[in-house]
Amino acid sequence: MSQVPVTVLTGYLGAGKTTLLNRILTEPHGKRYAVIVNEFGEQGIDGKLVVGADEEIFETNNGCLCCTVRGDLIRIIEGLMRRKNKFDAILVETTGLAMPAPVAQTFFVDQEVRERTRLDSIVTVVDARHYLDSVAREKEPAEQVAFADVILLNKTDLVAPETVDEIERRIRAVNAVATIHRTTRCDVALDRVLDQGSFDLERALTIEPHLLHDHDLGGGHEHDHDHGHDHHHDHGHHGHAHPAHDQEIGSIALRTGEPLDGKRTLAWISALARDQGADILRMKGILNFQGEPKRFVFQGVHMTLDGEPTQPWGENERRESVLVFIGRKLDKAALEQGLKSCIA
Amino acid sequence: MTDGPLAWQGEAPVVGAAYAEGGAVLAFAFGDGLLRLVGVADGATRDVTVHEDAAILGLVVDGAGFLTGGDDGRMMHVTAAGEVLALASFPGKWVAAVAAHTGEGLRAAAVAKEVHLFDAKGVRAVLAHAATVEAIAFNPKGKRLAAAHYDGVSLWWTAAPAKGQAQTPKRLAWKGGHRMVSWSPDGDYVLTATQENDLHGWRVADGKDMRMSGYPVKVRSLAWTQKPPYLATSGAEAVTCWPFAGSGPMGRPPLQIPGPRDDRLVTQVASHGREPVVAAGFADGSIVLCDLRDKRTVLAREAVEGEDARISALAFAPDGRSLAWGAESGACGLLRAGGQ
Repeated sequence: MSQVPVTVLTGYLGAGKTTLLNRILTEPHGKRYAVIVNEFGEQGIDGKLVVGADEEIFETNNGCLCCTVRGDLIRIIEGLMRRKNKFDAILVETTGLAMPAPVAQTFFVDQEVRERTRLDSIVTVVDARHYLDSVAREKEPAEQVAFADVILLNKTDLVAPETVDEIERRIRAVNAVATIHRTTRCDVALDRVLDQGSFDLERALTIEPHLLHDHDLGGGHEHDHDHGHDHHHDHGHHGHAHPAHDQEIGSIALRTGEPLDGKRTLAWISALARDQGADILRMKGILNFQGEPKRFVFQGVHMTLDGEPTQPWGENERRESVLVFIGRKLDKAALEQGLKSCIA
Repeated sequence: MTDGPLAWQGEAPVVGAAYAEGGAVLAFAFGDGLLRLVGVADGATRDVTVHEDAAILGLVVDGAGFLTGGDDGRMMHVTAAGEVLALASFPGKWVAAVAAHTGEGLRAAAVAKEVHLFDAKGVRAVLAHAATVEAIAFNPKGKRLAAAHYDGVSLWWTAAPAKGQAQTPKRLAWKGGHRMVSWSPDGDYVLTATQENDLHGWRVADGKDMRMSGYPVKVRSLAWTQKPPYLATSGAEAVTCWPFAGSGPMGRPPLQIPGPRDDRLVTQVASHGREPVVAAGFADGSIVLCDLRDKRTVLAREAVEGEDARISALAFAPDGRSLAWGAESGACGLLRAGGQ
């Protein structure tokens, strides 16, 4: 069954979600969007297929505590499917205070939603003026960053360049894999936001974690993201007295060139999702299994896991396993040990 | 295979089918707001746009005509002749479900967390809930209304409230999302289809719970036979019918009647008004008639190709002499007893 792609748009109040939303609704990009907004009649959203949602968290009774879904989204998506052929893609805007996990899990847990739609990516708009304050105070901004595939670091014209660098560093400490775009009025090409295939296992060929360490900032850090203007990292900011991980959320990346035992590795990852899924917000990886010509790609949101063998490794390609975990209270040594035990 | 002369192709998924006027007129509701009225005797059709540029979300029989709710926030009455009357409008919201009780002259619309109850004079009551109402149903006598929502069902009395008296509903509680609701024909049980792929039931007299599980997907369609009472359900590869005669279904296995293939799910069920016969539509577009007495089945429509072949609407005429079907592809048709 053909699946309608869904882009989830998160961001704290006033970050600029509506600006981006209106660009998606008005600029030519060849796709007709149905838009699910958190409050109907919100100012300044034009477009025909705009549906108001009232956040309703459903706990599912499948014995998994963190497994919550958005009942309102399930209902709205089922309703929208009756208008088939009227739109090509769905955009879900969440409230500034919404937790992204139930939204993301809706697309993996509800069977009919999963059959008819596919999560394309989670896009988070970060307000450069308020991020450092709000992330210290509240849970949501760091979670929204942690879940993101694409981050628009917006309103960068309203703060000093050093502050923008500082925010980017803090974002990287939470989420080492998202693509970051620095913007002023969400002015990023829409093809960098829409149709990203971030949850598409087939499209994941490599993962390049951007891991920042307080003491080697800048060194070896590649600026391959799209800043749209020249910038430099301020290397004089090392001694800051800020927590290393906002709201205790951080990223851990593991790599190994040694081939892994497929069976043991999958058992290990399943056990991680089961036992630590409440603290693991997202994980993804590309795995090099012993005797397997194809790469094995997996991704997970809390306790929901998805994985399959995808593209074959190239003849001259360096076969390497890369895993990234984003979550709370992650124990790097234990994860490293776990991966080690999977080496074939 | 062709569906013969009594079949049509709509532009959007069929979302409902219902017979009015004692079975003389049939309506198909579509996802583009259109209602197709069909004269059952001569097959003559008439199309009426009921919800402009919107999807119909609910269709039920309403007196001699039909009642619809749409994602344009409107509740409409359509006469058997095709006249459209706007009954209520809730701008910016969806009328997610409608219900009507002809004997009591009542209509109801589920709009977000409220149920709006109407009588001939207009709004009788606005019934508020803590969560969005997903489904509503009057009991057979029309004296009570069940509203399904997260964490259970609220049972309301439909009588006009005394002045200044707010009604507190009886709560039938069960954790989780409840997506459909239905009363047994004797009014003794309320059943819901849940987000968790099972059925939940309550005996209304004492609130005793019952749970019917084992479905691979969500149950989307419920139909009651009269004598003996069975609850037929979609959601499995077999047509699954729970016995409600005597002490109810607890501890008794359901009748499971295999379909034409064992890898296609039942997506819609409909009950013959008089005989213990159930029609079941499948994900591949096939339709079978099942006699619950001897579990014999007859293929009424063959499977068709296409990912949107699934049967999305099914209704028996009150006399059981014809069966209306609709598919997600927009195809719909009328099958008459004895072929043709």
